[in-house]
Amino acid sequence: MNFQVYNRELCVQNIKITGVASSSLVMVGDTETIQLASTFDTPAESLIIGPFVPLQRE
Amino acid sequence: MLQRTACVDAIHVKVVSFASTVQLGDSCIINSLSRALAIQREMEQFYGNEGNLSAYGVFTEPIPFQPITEPFTYSRQNLNPLIKVNKIDIIGISSSSLLHVGNSRHVSMEARVKHIRQLLPIPRKQAETENKDKS
Repeated sequence: MNFQVYNRELCVQNIKITGVASSSLVMVGDTETIQLASTFDTPAESLIIGPFVPLQRE
Repeated sequence: MLQRTACVDAIHVKVVSFASTVQLGDSCIINSLSRALAIQREMEQFYGNEGNLSAYGVFTEPIPFQPITEPFTYSRQNLNPLIKVNKIDIIGISSSSLLHVGNSRHVSMEARVKHIRQLLPIPRKQAETENKDKS
């Protein structure tokens, strides 16, 4: 595969964002490689109904 | 090859927290990692010494990446060497996140979150009436 990129004019007025969270990226510029990974675990067992049991200590 | 230059007139950020970064200018390698235990309790009760991350697999399990096997060549021509932005408006940047103005080479970022909800037991009588209402 041969991929050719011509970067012509890039002009943006306003960027409005509420939140950037959990290893996210806002970039104005160029980069060679980006690798983003995210895991979010909230299984059924994580819904505990009953008296509060403290989590395992530090 | 000529690099492009990013030009931003104004940046408004209210909060930058939890190991987040605002990077103005070029960088080469960026690595960031965020690990969070998100505990939600129906009643405010926190013991202050909780939270052992090694107890949860989500913080240690490997995240698989597909190897790039396709042969890939590309050429890039920056006909206009300027990226122009008038205003960036962000309320919050959090948990190892990044606002980057400028060029970089390699960016690698990772987030792992374990979410636990703890609810109070429903009193038996109340639960029964709720079940009756449903039926």
